[in-house]
Amino acid sequence: MELLVAQLLNGLVYGVLLFLMAAGLSLIFGLMNVVSLAHGSFFMLGAFLGLAIVQVTGSFWIALVLAPLAVALLGIVMEVLFLRPLYARGHMDQVLLTFGFTFVFYDLVQTVWGRIVLRLPTPAILQGTVDIGAGVFSAYRLFLIGFGFAIAVLLWLLLERSRIGAMVRAGVDNAAMAAGLGGNIALLFTGIFGFGVALAGLGGVAAGPTLGLYPGMDTDILIPAFIVIVIGGMGSLRGAFVGSLLIGIADTFGKAYLQSIALFLIYLAMTVVLLIRPQGLFGIRYADAPPSAVARTMPPSTKATRAVGLIVLAVLIVLPFGLPDYPRALIAEIYIFAIFAMSLDLILGFSGLMSLGHAAFFGLGAYAVAVLGVQFGLDAWIGLAAGVALAAAGAALIGFFCVRTGGIPFLMLTLAFSQLVFSVALKWRDVTGGSDGMALAEQPSFFGFSLSHSLVMYFMTLMFFVAAYLGLRRLIDAPLGHVFVGIRENEPRMAAIGYPTLAYKLVAFTIAGAIAGLAGGLYVIYNGFISSDAVYWTASGDILIMTMLGGAGTLIGPPIGAAVFLLMKNVASSYSEHWLAIIGTAFICCVLFFPGGIWGSVQKLRGKAAP
Amino acid sequence: MLDLDHVDAFYGDSHILHGVSFTVRDGEVVCLLGRNGAGKTTTILTVMGYLHPRAGAVRYNGRDIGALSPYAVARLGFGFVPQERGIFPSLTVRENLTVFARGGRGDDWTLERIFVLFPGLKARERNLGFQLSGGEQQMLSIARALMLNPSLLLLDEPSEGLAPMIVQEIVQILHRLKGEGLAILLVEQNLRVALALADRHHVMNKGEICFTGNSAELESNDFVLRNYLSV
Ligand SMILES: Nc1ncnc2c1ncn2[C@@H]1O[C@H](COP(=O)(O)OP(=O)(O)OP(=O)(O)O)[C@@H](O)[C@H]1O
Ligand SMILES: [Mg+2]
Repeated sequence: MELLVAQLLNGLVYGVLLFLMAAGLSLIFGLMNVVSLAHGSFFMLGAFLGLAIVQVTGSFWIALVLAPLAVALLGIVMEVLFLRPLYARGHMDQVLLTFGFTFVFYDLVQTVWGRIVLRLPTPAILQGTVDIGAGVFSAYRLFLIGFGFAIAVLLWLLLERSRIGAMVRAGVDNAAMAAGLGGNIALLFTGIFGFGVALAGLGGVAAGPTLGLYPGMDTDILIPAFIVIVIGGMGSLRGAFVGSLLIGIADTFGKAYLQSIALFLIYLAMTVVLLIRPQGLFGIRYADAPPSAVARTMPPSTKATRAVGLIVLAVLIVLPFGLPDYPRALIAEIYIFAIFAMSLDLILGFSGLMSLGHAAFFGLGAYAVAVLGVQFGLDAWIGLAAGVALAAAGAALIGFFCVRTGGIPFLMLTLAFSQLVFSVALKWRDVTGGSDGMALAEQPSFFGFSLSHSLVMYFMTLMFFVAAYLGLRRLIDAPLGHVFVGIRENEPRMAAIGYPTLAYKLVAFTIAGAIAGLAGGLYVIYNGFISSDAVYWTASGDILIMTMLGGAGTLIGPPIGAAVFLLMKNVASSYSEHWLAIIGTAFICCVLFFPGGIWGSVQKLRGKAAP
Repeated sequence: MLDLDHVDAFYGDSHILHGVSFTVRDGEVVCLLGRNGAGKTTTILTVMGYLHPRAGAVRYNGRDIGALSPYAVARLGFGFVPQERGIFPSLTVRENLTVFARGGRGDDWTLERIFVLFPGLKARERNLGFQLSGGEQQMLSIARALMLNPSLLLLDEPSEGLAPMIVQEIVQILHRLKGEGLAILLVEQNLRVALALADRHHVMNKGEICFTGNSAELESNDFVLRNYLSV
């Protein structure tokens, strides 16, 4: 009984902290239709700034007030300078931009405060414990629960009972209409963004004494907060509140009593809610942003482009002979991720669906090779074939549910499913090795040549890359590819002239999954090792970034993006500790100055040059 | 007061409005007619700043407002009643009315005066927007625009999909507003409503204005009635 009460209270504490995150995230999403992946970073920055303020002033309470304000200021600057130019461009660019900021902020925190777990001191008057009848409980935690509920009530009053609140709700309902009545939507956006960010910062400070401070606490809170707003309903404060308490309590009890399957159950719950009530328990609707500026038309391949392609291929064939082992291996890795990125582009660029869960299929392919090899002693190439089949089957199944939606629901649903796969990979340790991963016993050979030789590895991956490129090229130039593009451009019209658009989208999703599985399998063959990190959502984020960086909607863009991303990561990380900040800044600049990605911009220039 | 001067407007690449010109003077009711897809709503959206003319100009009291955003246009004194009514579903009727209300000059519209003109809304004051019937939504949308104390009211097919009795009620209300000297730009497909209210009519077809005249001229022009208005 005492334990039960203690668990319940712990669940409430976590729930309250989640609420501070989710409330802002939900309002920002509901009002502005912006998916801010940087929201977790503001939580983290709030906590660390709070620590700095405590160190200077010695007062937790001053920190609790000042740190959120400072973070809010940062948020407002970010909204005005960076996000505002992107509103007309759609989700893709916003995701890329805010993802870039998470890198920068992570690096900032790591540089200033290091990587060890720090802790905010508990304020003096809340240091003891309180006897609550059913056992003793930390005074600070009790305070947190009360504090969180008080904030929730205040927020509710502000939103439901004030004119500003009515304006916010009107904006959430229909921002265009609000503007047409003279509502200053731009100011409202900035205000809500700053306010939401302040709440996240407040949550960070409040969490400081219990959860600890460390780089990485940003994603650790962001994902559960996403789950909360997906379950509760985006744009709904009540949804954020109920969802937070639900997830807070479920997570605490799950970890205590169900251990390994708790994570799985939470993602399963999220998936089920999304399928039954896509708008969440309390949500009214999802607003959809205009489709992002993806590069529109691909110039047909002419003799000239074919000649250029052959020259590039010749260079790629000659290239490794002049290189030492390390760059050969790096380029081989680039080929693998180029395949992965091109597969994502099939759904992102050519079908207009933005997936934040593509790593799931990469993972299925990878684990097929690893598990069949390690547990059953099967040859890696058989594993690869099985992996492609498994990934295709997984994509068909997951796609069956996902392609019905679009826009943000699609993004959330793919995220939910991939986290489901992740939780299996993480917790089914006997088979997958969990976060410790599993290693292939020996490097497989390729037509009798040992892949431990870097040249063999290079040519093996190059071969697969060229095959995947040519295969996709044919697919896109074929009638099927035109249907995909047609659906992206104008789905209702394609449906009206008789194309079963859902079926086509499912086909695209399945093919993309199969090719991602191929990349995953090759990655295990290349790397000899796989762990659950490879299917974590950040892996999906990385591949999304590579694809958009290079240019979604083109076939050449994604390989360029993969190359730039991996080169930057490897080169920057060997020359500077701040490679994360460098990469993040590069993304931010890319979104701002190269809409349509690198190759998209090149094409635009060429389009301008030629009449 | 409002002046469209050879306006061309586009949705993306599709060219919708071709050289649309007309004027609304102080205290005047001007009606835009035309079949489905003629470009009436597009014209209203261009005036409101949701679309920006690529050629030509939209002027308000002589000032070019073509580049302004909807927010800025609304603040100039436009009361916008969109075709889909645009009621905020999660706000109460009262909140819908007050949320963006602004004081005007002199004879202000207040909640009390609104509830006198729209007694039906008074009864529904505490209901949420999504609980209203179509007629009530239309009333609320008009009332909400009046709460901005506009100098010019823009109405996009206020009679669309409503029962004749409710249409009658709306016509009476608009009559009173006209009597008070409010300028109105009205989009209508219902010829009777248009003839009952407007001083001047512009008939649109395929994004162009193909007829301009007063009620008597419109009524007697069989060609326009038959070809452009499907009467
Ligand atoms: N968002 C849009 N994108 C592209 N074309 C559009 C869009 N909205 C309308 N159109 C096209 O613009 C043309 C004019 O449409 P508009 O809505 O202005 O017509 P309308 O006269 O208001 O018709 P209705 O009486 O049906 O409301 C139509 O051909 C329509 O198909
Ligand atoms: Mg219309």
